[in-house]
Amino acid sequence: MDFENKKIIVAGASGGIGGATCEALAAEGAVVIMIGRSEEKLRNQMEKLNGTGHRCYLCDLGIVDSIEPCISQIIEECGAVDGFVHSAGVGDVRPLKMSKYDFMLRVMNINFFSYVEIVRCITKRGAYKEGLSIVGVSSVGAQYGRQSRTAYSASKGAMDSSMRTMAKELGVKGIRVNNIAPGGTRSSMTADFDAYANLSDENRLIALRQYLGECEPSDVANAVLFLLSEKSRKITGTILNVDGGKMSC
Amino acid sequence: MTQEEKIAMLEDMLELDGGSLKPETALCSIDEYDSMAKLSLIVLCDDEFGKKLNGEELSGFKTVKDILDFMG
Repeated sequence: MDFENKKIIVAGASGGIGGATCEALAAEGAVVIMIGRSEEKLRNQMEKLNGTGHRCYLCDLGIVDSIEPCISQIIEECGAVDGFVHSAGVGDVRPLKMSKYDFMLRVMNINFFSYVEIVRCITKRGAYKEGLSIVGVSSVGAQYGRQSRTAYSASKGAMDSSMRTMAKELGVKGIRVNNIAPGGTRSSMTADFDAYANLSDENRLIALRQYLGECEPSDVANAVLFLLSEKSRKITGTILNVDGGKMSC
Repeated sequence: MTQEEKIAMLEDMLELDGGSLKPETALCSIDEYDSMAKLSLIVLCDDEFGKKLNGEELSGFKTVKDILDFMG
């Protein structure tokens, strides 16, 4: 896949999947524009990237009002972009009785509202190049019910639904919008989930469903690059599961 | 927060009648203290007391008093 000199924004660049995506893109010649909340983590991620010209931008995606100025700065300094990957997200596990509105809103802000806001900003005239491709990292958690995941699953379900509407609306501009839905993937987020795995028989049963085993962040990143690339030029409005077979049974 | 208030909070979390819990109550005797309740306790300790409760510490709780002591 040819990403030579393609400019790709990755939000959540210092996470497991986000980081693997940045590294894969850089290896294919892309200019990676990373957005994250921690300067230290972004700098550490930058050091892992092949090539030159990559950029870091600090932005707390939980503060949705701060996104438009950040994107404006990116476009001004880097020029129009070729792609966007939304890999930012929190996976807080919390029973329904503890999921009050402020918690729900925090998860929705980071996982969903920031995604829509970034898409809104980069699809304005002058902000994108012909053939812009947008990939959201959703989750199979949007496709089945699981205890203590109300906020997380709602946010990913919202990503999936809005992805379809945005794909339809942006198709006239030649812009493609798709999601990746990972299953269990080795990352710091799933490590947090796993910390409480022994508390629940449900977790153990769910793990057995992923009969090809746990995904690596690079497995998800490979699928992201496919959807960003010209090789998927006729694919839009769809969800590609990278789930080790979990949703097939 | 007084001990009585903390116990009331735990009773509410476990959906038990007021007065159901005493500091010496064994957690293994409480049917409602299941995996979901343990997750709720983790959230409660973080939200209300600013304490991060890990799985190992959680496993070490044997009585209501152990939880109250952790809350501080």
